[in-house]
This record gives sequence, C-alpha cells and structure tokens, in this order.
Amino acid sequence: MTRGPDMTDHQRGLPGPGPDGVDLDRVWIGVAAEVWHRRPGLAERLASRLLRSPGLARALLTTPSLLLGWVLATTVVLLAGVAFTLSTGTPWVALIAPPLAGAGIAYAYGPGIDPSWELSQSMAVSDRMVLLVRALAVFGLNAILGLVASAASGAVAAVTFGWLVPMTAVCGLALAAATLTRSPNVGVLAGLAGWLITVLGERVGEGRLTAAVTSTALVLPYLAVAAACVVVALYATRTPRGT
Amino acid sequence: MNVEISELTRRFGRTEAVAGVDLRAGPGVFGLLGPNGAGKTSLLRMMATVLPPSSGTLRLLDRDPRSYGPRREIRRRLGYLPQNLGYYPGFTVAEFIEYFALLKDMPSGQVPRAVAAAIEHVGLGGKARAKLRTLSGGMLRRVGIAQAIVNEPELLLLDEPTAGLDPEQRVAFRTLLREFGQRATVIVSTHLVEDVAAACSEVTLMDAGKIVFHGTPDELIAQGEGHGIGDAPLERGYSAVLAAARS
Repeated sequence: MTRGPDMTDHQRGLPGPGPDGVDLDRVWIGVAAEVWHRRPGLAERLASRLLRSPGLARALLTTPSLLLGWVLATTVVLLAGVAFTLSTGTPWVALIAPPLAGAGIAYAYGPGIDPSWELSQSMAVSDRMVLLVRALAVFGLNAILGLVASAASGAVAAVTFGWLVPMTAVCGLALAAATLTRSPNVGVLAGLAGWLITVLGERVGEGRLTAAVTSTALVLPYLAVAAACVVVALYATRTPRGT
Repeated sequence: MNVEISELTRRFGRTEAVAGVDLRAGPGVFGLLGPNGAGKTSLLRMMATVLPPSSGTLRLLDRDPRSYGPRREIRRRLGYLPQNLGYYPGFTVAEFIEYFALLKDMPSGQVPRAVAAAIEHVGLGGKARAKLRTLSGGMLRRVGIAQAIVNEPELLLLDEPTAGLDPEQRVAFRTLLREFGQRATVIVSTHLVEDVAAACSEVTLMDAGKIVFHGTPDELIAQGEGHGIGDAPLERGYSAVLAAARS
C-alpha cells in the first residue's frame, strides 16, 4: 500500500535507493518518525516510570475522566459546593464529593466509553490492569480535590474526612454498575441513586442531612458495599468463559 | 506451526457458532471464506485471544493462550483487525497507531519508527497528523490495518479488511498481504472471493460453524467445474462446495 494516492508529492518523488546507495525510503521513515511522534509530556513520563509500562502510562493519560475538561468541571462543581457550604452552613462538599467521584470512576474505562474496546482486549497490556490503574488514579484525584474543597469550606474534621469512606462505597457501586451493564451512564446513575437513598434515609432516621457522612455506624456497611462492588467489577471484567 | 486448532468449539447459549474446527497454519496467507453467520468472526476472535473457546484446544505461536504469561506473549506478536473497529475521534492517525503499539508492549524506543513505517505501508503518509474524525471510511480501515501491522506481527488476523477500500487500495492491500505472508501467518476473513484468489495461498471455507473445504484456491476452483452458479471460477467453486455441504 506504500506510495498510495494520499502520499505527499515529496514522498511520491522519492526514489528507492539514492544516488550514493542511500536508502531514501529508510531515511524518510526516520524523518517521518521524528515529525509524527508525539513527545510524551512530563506527566506521561512520570507515569511511565512509576508504572514501568509506557503503554499503561499512555492509557492512564487518556482516561476520559482525567482529561482537563472533566477535571475543570469537577473543580467547578466542588467550588460551587464550597460557596453553598459557606453561605448555608450545610457541608455540601461532603455530600456532593462521593457521587462526583463515582461519575469519574464510571467514566474511567470500559466498553461503554472505549470505541476500540474489542481491539483493546487483544492487547498485551491487559484491560483489567488499565481499569485498575485508571480507577485508582481517578479515585485519588477526586479524593485530593474533595479534601481541598472540604478544608476550604471550613468543615469540621469529622466531615472533612468523613466522606472518604462513603466515597469509596459510591465509587465501588458506580464501577460495578458500569462494568456489569457496560454503560458508564448506568454507573453514574447507580452511584447517584445509591448515595441519594443513603443520605435521605439517614436524614429521616437521624434527623441530620450529614448523618450519612458523619455516622460511625455506617463505616463498616460502606466498606462492605465497596468490597462487594469490587468483587462484582472483577467478575464483570473477567475473561468470559465459553458456555 | 503458528496456529494449531483442534476440535475448537464456541457456543453462545444454544447456538454453536464454531463447531469442532481443526486447523493448522504456518507462514502464508490464508483466506477464510463463508456466508454470514458461518462462524468466521468467532473463529478469528478466538485466535485473537478475545473470545475463549467453549471446548477444544488452541495453540498460537507455540503457546497456550489460556495462561496469562503465554497469552501476553502471543498478544505482543499478534496483529488483529476486528470487523468493527471503533476509533477515538480526537486522536490523529499517528497517535492512534502509536497508542496501540504501546499497548502491544513494543519497546518505546522502537515505536516512532514502527508507526511511521506502518503509516507509509498503508499509504496514509499525507494524513499522519489528521484527526481520525476527518477521515473517510476507507482511510479509517487503512488506519486499522496500520495498527494491526505496526508490531511486525507473526500472526496477523484481519476480519473483512478490504471493506470500504477502493479498487486501487485493494490491489495495494493484496500486495501487502503477500509481503507479510512470506514471514508471518496471515488469516483473512472476507466475503470477497477475488481477494482470496489474488492473495491467498490456501483457502478455508466455513458454513454453519464447520470447515467444509480446505485447500488451495485452484482446488476450490476445481470443485466448481460444471457448477452453474457464480460469475468467476472461484465463486463457482465456493457455491458448489456450499451446496454440497448443505445437501
């Protein structure tokens, strides 16, 4: 297929061996490699060293919910939460951070968001490893953004850190639903619905909107839900057996 | 042998998509022909290690893909073009091919040159920095072929690779197939018998999950002598074998 109709005039004019026996095709490939190659940025180089896999690093850097637009949108929502918290006294950051992180996790990886999913499954870098690395990175970034926003809103320590455990459960639920149904939207909805039910249920039971975040009695159930959801996600991403 | 398949079966519920297939293939270009639903894509997906078999044995590049380590090694040496290849619209041609070269675990120092060579191989040099969303269907198919060959695979699996290619590009593609077939096992699933006639050293015809013919294109042509259906000799052979298998 070389020298097809889409080649540039410059390329078309290249003869095979040059006048001095120089293989101009080989020279051109070297030039094209330099021109077309996308130099990895600092973040990708660091990720590549950390993960010891350039492929995994590139896969991490192309996570939809780690792209600049998504991160900016998350920051804007958290900033709005900070503003509402400061003006109303209700710790909105702690209430919105878990489903926000869940949405990021649901959009981290999977057949619903990867147009080349079939091809990705045939790659040496396993899709499960890509999912794991992306999910951990999204979780970590959302935790940091949420903690900064929570601290900025002047919430007490119990609230500032209290939502981290429920966030783990919501992220697990979103991930399990997204991988099981192969739809990130279902993952987002599951995370949001689960969190709303918990918050409103605790509001009715305890009489406080923040009970879902501050109640120590819920820590173990949250962790149990998170662990169960991770098992479901691992099951959903296993190599399917023949029937 | 790069591909050794024995009694390979794949069921989807009650449907047996691949029903006890035996196949052995070394270097060369192998055409996989058959009507819709014959089991070609399922067989190719099993060879691409995307779909595990229900039963039977499958060895690829002298390895058993059921274990993680050998499967990873097979995938490093594999080139696969699925029937429906999705594309990341915001990627350029070079970025897309580079991404999959990295996911194939190619040494990162070799990737830029391999990507450039693959792009030139499919004649997309002038579009290397174009976004995928700006390309035509035929060009996207060539991008798919480029990602499949970027790692100089020892086993190249192509599902309907010529769909969307214009006649000139199909001719060029067959040349590429023959070139790869000299050093690798190339298995091409196609509906187009002229692709098989022009590029394949062996042809396998599937129907209802089973192999109903395996031989050279000339042997398939010989099967069609005296058979009325089909414009080209190979088409007559194809029709005759299918008619015999179904009778």
